Amino acid sequence: MEHIVVIAEHLSGRIRPVTWELIAFARELKRLRNAPLSVLIPGEDISAPAEEISARTGCRVLAINTPGLQSYNSEAYKEILAAQLRETGATHVCIANSTQGLDFSPGLAIRLKGACITGVEKVTEKDGRLCFLRKIYNGKMTHTIVSDVGVTLLTVEPGVFKASEDEIADCHPVEYKNVSWHSDRVRNLGVEKSEAGIDSALNEADIIVAAGRGIGKEENLELIRKFASLFPRAAVAGSRPICDLGWLEYGRQVGITGATVTPKVYIACGISGATQHLTGMRGSGFIVAINTDPNTALFNDADLCIVEDLTTFIPAVIGEYKKEKQDE
Amino acid sequence: MPECLKPMKRQHLKILVCVKQVPDIEAIAHSDDPGTWAKISESTGFRMNRYDEYAVEEAILLKEANPGTIVDILSVGPQRANQTIRRALGMGADNGIHIRTADDEYLSPFLIASWIAAAVRSRDYDLILAGVMSEDGMHGQVGPMTAEFLGIPCATSVVASRISRDCASFQVTREIEDGLKDLLLLHFPAVLSIQSSTNKPRYPALSKILRAKSLELEVIDFDTFDVRTSPERLTEVGFPQKTRSGEILQGSQGEKAAELLRILSRKIPIR
Ligand SMILES: Cc1cc2nc3c(=O)[nH]c(=O)nc-3n(C[C@H](O)[C@H](O)[C@H](O)COP(=O)(O)OP(=O)(O)OC[C@H]3O[C@@H](n4cnc5c(N)ncnc54)[C@H](O)[C@@H]3O)c2cc1C
Repeated sequence: MEHIVVIAEHLSGRIRPVTWELIAFARELKRLRNAPLSVLIPGEDISAPAEEISARTGCRVLAINTPGLQSYNSEAYKEILAAQLRETGATHVCIANSTQGLDFSPGLAIRLKGACITGVEKVTEKDGRLCFLRKIYNGKMTHTIVSDVGVTLLTVEPGVFKASEDEIADCHPVEYKNVSWHSDRVRNLGVEKSEAGIDSALNEADIIVAAGRGIGKEENLELIRKFASLFPRAAVAGSRPICDLGWLEYGRQVGITGATVTPKVYIACGISGATQHLTGMRGSGFIVAINTDPNTALFNDADLCIVEDLTTFIPAVIGEYKKEKQDE
Repeated sequence: MPECLKPMKRQHLKILVCVKQVPDIEAIAHSDDPGTWAKISESTGFRMNRYDEYAVEEAILLKEANPGTIVDILSVGPQRANQTIRRALGMGADNGIHIRTADDEYLSPFLIASWIAAAVRSRDYDLILAGVMSEDGMHGQVGPMTAEFLGIPCATSVVASRISRDCASFQVTREIEDGLKDLLLLHFPAVLSIQSSTNKPRYPALSKILRAKSLELEVIDFDTFDVRTSPERLTEVGFPQKTRSGEILQGSQGEKAAELLRILSRKIPIR
């Protein structure tokens, strides 16, 4: 008997939006396997988020009230979830491919003698088996993986499955249970805001010109800035490596650990298109990718692909712009 | 500084850093024959997984802050992976361990982690570091799985760690989403998976490269390990589907530049 379980993700009393996507993904599994689905939410003071999930989705929700577990703790999650998933008889466990999900899932899988498949972007059925598609090589290629064991943990890539609109088939009251937990191996000292918030310029811009590792050296940021200055409402952003290098502030980083942006136009210069970057900009109106590699991952998710060396191409664009201005 | 959880067994830290050699991602081309794991051509270059460079850097920083610390490097991979181990030695690590595998076969994170755990179980490391994920497989599982096999705690996406002067307490910062940081106090021994950060991985120093070249690595053959199968199986390798039209601009560089401006001018104002 199969049983699909979703682990809801929450932080400071709020459900993280990826949870709705997990439920959409789990419903796809449910359709394929015709198996029951339930949602687990561990933590302290979780009745409000548990009731919200129940009200919005009509799913069976089990709130595992855990005194003292104010915020995520890997030791607690592994212990509490291992026990509960065994009790539920879970066969497919849907978890966010977030820094939290990736923190506890691999260890939890070992504990359950299960399989762990991370970064799942698609599920299909072949010869009666579920096949899970995930990206490799910074998004350039894909893997299809099947599980050979009874319990499979799936971490689902955020931003891929559309949160299904309220689809309340039948309503179940939230079930509550209390568990206690104590360990000193990992102790939480609190969650802090980083110094740099997300730069508001990124949300206000019509067009974002973004620099990736392909710019090669810091001086080439000047090209990116000049390119952006052709447009009245433009902002400059970067991929994570550019911010790690300190060439742009973290407030300008686009991606899963940076800003999510939706400008009318997004121009990616020397950015390969790894999923973690894509998550932050895939909602842009029109996506242009400039890359020397004709097989770069981002070309799959762009409207316009330009196979060029940005260090000569951007000057050519600026030259062309000046020429047209003169002709006007 | 928070109170100590459990004092360390000795004055000096013993750290292991797990590193992986990966192909240059840009050099991988579309082939007509997907279906197998990474057809890597003769000309493809290899390098250390970038997140592992940050892990080595973190270990060397800890060593500098806590004199007497030993940093060992371990890699699971084919013969050529020894170059990556030597690079890490060149960055300042002390000893290299190579779990040697057959050429270019796909190894699941489960297998890699179980072999690492089996190889180091009796070696008494206080701290095991790994990159947050590899740039080729992108699983992000080897660190936390190794921890579980060894029965020790783990923290992933770590961007900073600090050990007090008396080596008694150990605080780490995990980077999480929405610009937030999760601060933890960990119990030794532990596994950390390291995320890229502003700690710029150093270039190997010439004197250290020379030493690394002559240093004998400890080689362990993979077939000395019992575990050979994973709970999951790779059935197919392919290419991602297009989610947008992906029109490719044709022509000379100048023509493409003019065409780009034309297309953009239909979308947004240009000065
Ligand atoms: C937990 C986690 C969170 C992450 N969060 C983020 C995030 O928020 N944002 C983010 O961006 N990344 C994030 N990453 C990193 C992500 O996985 C990728 O490593 C990163 O996005 C790669 O950046 P890039 O495309 O600039 O560099 P690369 O992948 O190195 O790509 C550089 C590209 O430039 C091209 N190029 C080289 N030279 C030229 C030239 N002269 N002209 C034109 N093109 C050229 C190359 O062909 C290549 O495609 C995260 C990773 C992890 C593990």
